[in-house]
Amino acid sequence: MEMLSSLDVVQGNKDSLIDWIYSHQVLPSELDDDCRRCGFRGSSTIGAKFNPTQVSCEPYIPYDFGHIAQTYTGLLCLILLGDDLSRLQRVALTRGLRAHQLEDGSFKATLHGSENDMRFVYCASCISYILDDWTGVDVDKAADYIYRSQSYDGGIGQGPGLESHGGSTYCAVASLVLMDRLYTTFSSVELDRIRQWCIMRQQNGFQGRPMKPVDTCYSFWVGATLKLLDAFDLIDKVANRSYILSTQDSIVGGFAKWPDYHPDALHAYFGICGLSLMNAEEVKEMHPALNMSTHAVQHLEKIHLSWRSV
Amino acid sequence: MALGSGEENAAGENSWVFYKDRPEWKDITPMEQDDGPAPIVMIAYSKKFKDVYDYLRAIMRKDERSERALELTEDAIDLNPANYSVWHYRRIILKDLKKDLKDEILYCGEIIQEHPKNYQVWHHRRVLVEWTRDNSHELKLTETVLDVDAKNYHAWQHRQWVVREFGLWESELSLIDELLQKDLRNNSAWNHRYFVINHTTGFTDKVLEYEVKHAQDMCGKAPNNESAWNYLRGCLLEKELSSYPGLMQFCERLYEGSIRSPHLLSFMRDIYEDQLEQGCENVEATLYKALVLCEALSMEFDTIRAEYWNYIARRMKSKFAPHDETNNKTAEATGGAGDDPNL
Repeated sequence: MEMLSSLDVVQGNKDSLIDWIYSHQVLPSELDDDCRRCGFRGSSTIGAKFNPTQVSCEPYIPYDFGHIAQTYTGLLCLILLGDDLSRLQRVALTRGLRAHQLEDGSFKATLHGSENDMRFVYCASCISYILDDWTGVDVDKAADYIYRSQSYDGGIGQGPGLESHGGSTYCAVASLVLMDRLYTTFSSVELDRIRQWCIMRQQNGFQGRPMKPVDTCYSFWVGATLKLLDAFDLIDKVANRSYILSTQDSIVGGFAKWPDYHPDALHAYFGICGLSLMNAEEVKEMHPALNMSTHAVQHLEKIHLSWRSV
Repeated sequence: MALGSGEENAAGENSWVFYKDRPEWKDITPMEQDDGPAPIVMIAYSKKFKDVYDYLRAIMRKDERSERALELTEDAIDLNPANYSVWHYRRIILKDLKKDLKDEILYCGEIIQEHPKNYQVWHHRRVLVEWTRDNSHELKLTETVLDVDAKNYHAWQHRQWVVREFGLWESELSLIDELLQKDLRNNSAWNHRYFVINHTTGFTDKVLEYEVKHAQDMCGKAPNNESAWNYLRGCLLEKELSSYPGLMQFCERLYEGSIRSPHLLSFMRDIYEDQLEQGCENVEATLYKALVLCEALSMEFDTIRAEYWNYIARRMKSKFAPHDETNNKTAEATGGAGDDPNL
C-alpha cells in the first residue's frame, strides 16, 4: 500500500499498527544468553502478553525467540509507517543476529530448529543496513557463502551446489550491494554471467529457473537483480509490463502468479514492484536492494543521521 | 495416516473432542493469544484451531514434556504445519521421552507428501536423519516426491544433503538419466548431474570429454533446451572454448542443419569471443562473424533480448574492433555506429 501511496487507508490505525509490531519484539530477559533469542516474533502464537512499551521480556517465556524474516519484515513495516525506531533495542537485535550466522557464512532463521540458506543471508543484510550496524554479521564469511553459491550456469542457488534460482540470486546480489561487497566478491566476468543468467529468464514475464513457467513475482526478483547490476534497461519492458498486467484480477484486484489464476498478497506486492522498476505511473520508485520505496528509505536515512549525531 | 483424536471417523461423523472438554486435560488452563486492543489483519481461526493452540500455549509455557504434549503437537502441526516453534517443541519432547524415531520418520514422511513445499517438515526430516544416522529411506522419499514434481527444490536439496553426508553417490547418475529421459529439460536434474560429478570423479579430461559429448547430444535432440546448453558451457568454464576440440564443428553441424536456436547462436558467439580474447589471427573476420550473430539474435532469433544482444555487440566492437572506427563491414553488421559502447 505504501508503494501505491495509499497508506492513508490505514492512517487512522497507524499507531496501533506500530504498537502491534513492537509488541512482537523479543527483548532481553533474565536469561544470561547474550541476547541470542532477540529479534521479532511473527505472531503472538507463543502467548506473549501484548505490551508495546516493555523493555524486557521477564519472566522469560519458554520457546519464545525471534525469527530473522520477521525481524526484517517488522523493521521494514515500522519504517513504512513512519516510526522513528526509538523503541528498538538495537544492540540486542544485532547480538541476536550474530547468534544466527553459521560457520559456512549463511544464516539460520531462528536460534533453534531452522534451515539455513540465502534467504536469511538477505534478511540479515537488510537488518544490519537498517540498524546501521554490521556487528551482527561476519561480512567476509557471508560474502564467501554467496560467492560459493554461484552455479555453473552463472545464476545463484540457495547454497553451494544448489540449483540457481531467481529468488536466491536476488537475495545474494542484494545482500552484497547492502554490504558494499558486490565488486570485491565477484569478478567482472562472474558478474557478466549473473547478468546473462538473469536476462535469459525473460520469456515475456520472467521465470525463476530455466525451463520453468514464468511467474509475476520474478519480474521483481530477477528485475531488481538486473537493476542492481545496471542491466535492467536491457530487458524487454513492453513484454514484461504486458505480462504483469495480464495477471491482474479484474474482479477482486491484485495480481496472481499467472493470468486467470487466484491473486494473493505476495504476487500483488511483487507485481506492483515489478511495475515500479519500470517507473510505472501511480507507483512509487523503489530501492531495489532494500525492497521498499525510496520515500521510505529517505525516512530511514533521516533516522540514521539522528543516530550518528548522538 | 494415523487418525488424530479429532478426525471424522469412517461413518463420517465428526468425532473431534475439544481439548477443553477432555477430562485428562482438566488440569491445564488454556491460554489465549494476546494481540492487544487493536489486532491487525486478524486471522479468523476456527474453533478447533483456537482450542488446540490455546492448550498448546499453556503446555509450552509449562514446558511439559509428556505423551499428551506430543499428541497435542501433532494436532497443532495438522492445523499449521509451518509453525516452526511447534516442530521445535515436538523435537524436544521426542528426545526427552526417548521415543523410537522410526515411527517419527514415517510420520514425517507422510506430512512431507501432504506438504512437499513446506520448509519446516523437510528440516524436521533432516534433523531426524542426523539423530538416527538412518539414511535408508531418504533416496526413496525424495524419488517419491520428485515423481509428483520433478523440480521440487526441497527434495533436491534434501537429496544433495543425504548423498553428500552419507556418501550415497552410486545411483545418482542413473536417477538423473532416468529423469532426463522423462524430461530432458529438467534443469534440476542437470544441476544435480553437475553436483554429482563435481563431488565424485571431478571433471577430469576423460570425464569432461564424455560429459561434453553427452551434453552435445542432448543439445542436438532439443536445440532450444537452455539447460543442456548451460550444462555444456558450465562444464567448460575452466577451459578455453576456442581451443577445446570439436566445439565449433559441433555448432556448425547444427547450424548447417538450419538450427537457429538462440542458445546455439549464443554459444557460437561465446566461442568467437574466446578466440578474440586469446588473440586469434583474423580479428576482423572473427569479430564480424560474432557481430552477425548478435544481429541475428537481436533482429530475428531472440528478439525479446534485442537490447541485450545490441549491448553485447557494442561491447565487442568497443573491445576488439580495429582502431579504424569507419570500418564499414562492422558498422553494417550492427546497424549503426552511433551507439554508446558503454551502458
